[in-house]
Amino acid sequence: MAEMDLTRFEVLVAAYGATPNRWPEEERAAAEAFARADPRAAALLAEADSIDALLFAHRVAEPSRTLRAMVIEAAPRKRRLTGRARLWWTGIGIALAGASGMLAGSAATAALEPISANVLMYSHDDVPALDYSAEENAL
Amino acid sequence: MISDDPDGELVRRVGEGDVQAAEALVARKLPRMTALAHRLLGDRTEAEDVVQELFLRVWKSAAAWRPGAAKFDTWMHRVAFNLCTDRLRRRREVALPETWDAPDPQPLADAAISAEQQSDAVGRALAELAPRQREAIVLTYYQELPNREVAALMGIGVDALESLLARGRRALKARLEETDG
Repeated sequence: MAEMDLTRFEVLVAAYGATPNRWPEEERAAAEAFARADPRAAALLAEADSIDALLFAHRVAEPSRTLRAMVIEAAPRKRRLTGRARLWWTGIGIALAGASGMLAGSAATAALEPISANVLMYSHDDVPALDYSAEENAL
Repeated sequence: MISDDPDGELVRRVGEGDVQAAEALVARKLPRMTALAHRLLGDRTEAEDVVQELFLRVWKSAAAWRPGAAKFDTWMHRVAFNLCTDRLRRRREVALPETWDAPDPQPLADAAISAEQQSDAVGRALAELAPRQREAIVLTYYQELPNREVAALMGIGVDALESLLARGRRALKARLEETDG
């Protein structure tokens, strides 16, 4: 717990007022203990409390609806395509899809070729070699 | 996105163009930021101008927002604070007196004084504080920022902040007693 004496307690209350929640966290426990233990603390707290009450008497108006609406109006939003723009993008999308389909097809063929070759090789290995000699002899 | 930033997820969605997230962020921050600007500038119209500018910067920055050491709320406070202090500096350059909305002091301690009158009196007393004292009080008491954050925003140490707060509170009380008498 941080150290607390009358001098520091006076500074604390003069700056942050009488409410412990507003006192610096690292000194709060020590200051609360001091306030309970030292009879001089009460007068300091009462003085600070009267200034707190004045401060919190101050109210400001809520933001106007107009301000709120203007602020929200300026907020970023997801683009929504309409009318001609949508047609344009649809056309471009179809063209791109076609092109990418062709590209994908070529790429797939290229990628599959060696695999197919391997499969064929393995299939040959798996199947016992045909012996044509018996057929030739029969003829 | 750091998990302990309560605004992080909302800001990410704002950056993706989610209007509902933008509305939620406005609901969460607009009153707080308007109050900050109003109290620092002492003028509602100017405060609303600042808040509009602030949110334009929020909208522009949301998509690129990457949390570092500061939380989003701290970043917003920094931008708002700088916008306000720029305006106050320009005011001083053209030698306009810093005044609150209503120019004439009103007595405070009438038993039947309304909450509104009392609020106005405190507002005038706040406006008459030295600017650095007012900034310290507004950020600490009304915005409820931790002392280290306030000190960092104001570019001072915690000791200097405590001195500004104590002098500001004493000056505020003296001013209110003066108008009361």
